[in-house]
Order: sequence, then structure tokens, then C-alpha cells
Amino acid sequence: MHSKANKLLILLSVMLTVTACSGMGVEPWERDVLAKEEMQLVTDPVEAALDDHIYFSKEASSGGRGFGGGGCGCN
Amino acid sequence: MTDKQDNSIAIPLAAATCTLLGTAPTSPANAQEDPGWDFNTSFLYYGESDDRVQDASLSFLARRLFTDDKSLTLTLAVDSLTGASASGATPMDVAQTFTSASGNAVYTTAAGEHPLDDAFLDTRVAIGASWQQPLGRLYKMSAGLTASGEYDYKHIGGNFGLSRDFNQRNTTISVGVAVARDTLDPEGGAPISLARMLDVGDRSNKMGDQDKDVVDFLLGVTQVVNRNLLVQLNYSYSDSSGYLNDPYKFISMVDPVTGDTVAHTPAPGAAGPSHEFRFESRPKDRAKHSLFGQAKYYWSGRVVDLSYRYMTDDWDIDSHTLDAKLRFPMGDSRYLEPHVRFYSQSEAEFYSASLIEGDPLPAYASSDYRLGDFDAITAGIKYGWKTGSGNDMSVRLEYYTQDGEIPAGQIIGNQSQRTLYPDLDAIIFNFSYRFGK
Repeated sequence: MHSKANKLLILLSVMLTVTACSGMGVEPWERDVLAKEEMQLVTDPVEAALDDHIYFSKEASSGGRGFGGGGCGCN
Repeated sequence: MTDKQDNSIAIPLAAATCTLLGTAPTSPANAQEDPGWDFNTSFLYYGESDDRVQDASLSFLARRLFTDDKSLTLTLAVDSLTGASASGATPMDVAQTFTSASGNAVYTTAAGEHPLDDAFLDTRVAIGASWQQPLGRLYKMSAGLTASGEYDYKHIGGNFGLSRDFNQRNTTISVGVAVARDTLDPEGGAPISLARMLDVGDRSNKMGDQDKDVVDFLLGVTQVVNRNLLVQLNYSYSDSSGYLNDPYKFISMVDPVTGDTVAHTPAPGAAGPSHEFRFESRPKDRAKHSLFGQAKYYWSGRVVDLSYRYMTDDWDIDSHTLDAKLRFPMGDSRYLEPHVRFYSQSEAEFYSASLIEGDPLPAYASSDYRLGDFDAITAGIKYGWKTGSGNDMSVRLEYYTQDGEIPAGQIIGNQSQRTLYPDLDAIIFNFSYRFGK
């Protein structure tokens, strides 16, 4: 029952997000700035992976941007 | 390393698969890119002060872009680690002797020094492969495999992600799942939780290989707000189960009044520890929840990149991470990017600076500084430029520092005169070269 309520809540949040977001955004021909390399969410995936690896090894938190996973004996 | 293929906005799943092995993310681009290979190579040096961990790492990422917006990403990373790591034992006013992890020898830490496990020498190789492709007009999928190996640790994992665009591709919703099976084969065997450190040659406190399973789920929304602003919000859940101890960490057993570590006398003729130490014990399950938000804002040529993460888990650790980058262009082909990151975490409920002699042993205890209460700051700067042939190079230098605190109620007797928390200072140097675009 509890998990069903959770699922409904998630579904509701997703629908609300999609609805609320429909008023935002740009037309396809207005994407010049967003297309720039420096405007990507992750501009340098190798650097991001290296930093994730360092902080995974030294702190109790990981992931968030992506999967927190594991993959090394450092923690 | 950005896809510029269609009108789709950023796919957080791609960022999601950009995990420890670094898979290329998809982008909110609208320009076409020709099929072909491009490469991203990087050298990283990470060095801690006081002869602690030093890591030199080489990373390669190769991406083959095909027609129809399909791409294959291959990654390889090789790490070489040396140095020593804080063992979890408390410093003392006298020298302390420990049995090494292998159980074959002893080593000694000088009076007043933080006990470090100096047998830390490892090479790690990690590989990954990921495939991305559109499914119909609005969906995109990604599937990847990861594997890594160290002499005492093996990892194999898989991940799958699906995303869908809405609102003229201004909104993207993504879901992802990743599973991993890790195997620990520590030097000398995996210690039994809370077992005593024993004399050289006695391995009755150790077991064979141990496993750890990790399952991650991710739900993300990316939204184009206007021509200059892009935001992302992710919720992720991670469940780890199995042997979650760090097999090389142990805790000092101390006197309830003086706080000094209780002395141990090795058997006649044997070498062994000078004091009483117990291997750490963590629960066999851990569930983490994270909320992550990021905003990228284009501000007259400059780019502001702000992110925040809140993490909470059932070990009672809460953490906050705030990260800010500001990229200043210097002409058409160079830029400067200062970076600052603030991190703060509370200690695990079973964090124990030491164990008290005479008290019943708790079910779980760890003095690993990474499960303690600490704040960390990273500050650095990156300088990037385009080479004559149009490729990208960058250098980055950062300073990372941790400042921790032992809960006041855990400091006993003489311990108040000693620095109990092994604070950390490290330098990060990174050189990157991207070519073939």
C-alpha cells in the first residue's frame, strides 16, 4: 500500500513537472547558446569521472549527477 | 566531447552513465556533427601531504559517432596508487606496533604520529563501453558495461537508461538503473568484523573473498528555461549490500579513564601488535538517497555552472555539496575557469573514535575518517585553449582540504591532548587533451 502511494506520488510529480515546464523553453531556432560546448551539463566527462573517483574515495557520499555505484576498493 | 546531432535537449541519463568510468554525455545541441571518432585523454596527479596517498592516473575516452545519432563510447583508466592511508587507530604518546594486513610482518608508528597503513601500493585498471541510440523520434536509450580490477578488488557492472523529450524537446525525463557486483580479496584475507588484530602468522581473524552488490536507480528531469539557462534535477537511490567494511581499517581499544590504548603482549617468541586493536564492523546494507540540482547559465559570454547535492542514508550520514564554476572566455580560443566546492557531512551513527575496554562490543563500529563528521573545501582554477589544429587542451590545479571533528562525548582522558582526526590536504593536477573532432 505504502509503495503504491509512493509510485502515485512519483507519477504525480513527474506529470506536474512536465505540465509546469511546458511554459518554459525555447523555439528550435533559439538553441544557439545551448548548443555551445561550454553550455553542456557535463563539459568534460573524463574530468567529471576523475573528480567523482577522488571524492568517492575520500567522502561518504557519491553519485547524484549520475550513478553512485562502486567499482573501486577505495571506500 | 559533446554530441551535436539533433534538436534534443540534454539527456541526464548520459550524464548518469558518466559515472566512475566517464561515459560521454549527450547534449542539448542542435548542430550536426560528422560521423567519426573523437578522443579525450587525461593525466591526473592527486597527492596528499605527509606521505599519504599519491595517485597518478591516465584516462582515455574514445567515441565513435555513427549516422542516425548512434554512438559508441569506450573508456580506459589506469591508476597507480602509492603512499599510506589513516588506519583508524588513535595516536598515542608512545610508539605503536601493528601486524600488517598480510599477517606476515609488523610495522611501527612513532609516538605522537597518526597511525598509517603504509603497505598501500596498487594499480587499478578500469574499462567501460557504452552504446547510445535514439528509439523513435522522442526516446533515447543507453546501455553500458563497466569493469575494473585491482590486486585485491574486482568490479563488474552494467547500466541501462531511457529518456524521453517533451515540450518541443525543452523537457527531458530520464530513468536509469545500474547494477554492480564487486569482489574483495584483501591482502591476508577479509577481517571478521570486530576481530582482534593478532600476532604475526595467526590468521584466525580473517576470512576468504567477500562480495558487495550495488543497485542504483535514477530519475531525472532536464529543462531548458530560456535561451541562456538550462537546469537539471535528479533523484537517485543506491542500495549496497554484502561486505561493506574497509578491510584495512581498525579501531583502538582504550582504557575507559585514561583513553590510552590498552597494551598487548605478543606470545613468547612471536612478533605482534603492541596494543589492542579491533577490525571495523559496518552494517551489511546501506541505502542512500540523493537529490541533485544543477543550473548552467550563459552570461554575456561567461558560463556559470552551479550544482547542489543533498545525500542522506540509513547509516545516519547526511551531506551537502555545493559546487560552483565560472568560465571566463579570453578571446575566441582560450578560457579561465575558477572552481570552488564546499562539502559537509555528519558522522555515521556507528562512528567510534575508539572502543572502550570493559564495555560490551557494539554491533557496528568504525573509526574510518571518511565516516566521520567533517567539512571539505576544494578551490582551483582551470585554463583551457585551442591548439593550432583546433583541438582542446587544458590544465587544472586544485587544492582539497578536509577538516574533521570527533564528537565531544567520544574524547576520553588523555585523548583531549592529541589530534584525533587525521585532517587531509591534497593537490590535484590535471592535464587534458581532446582531439579528432
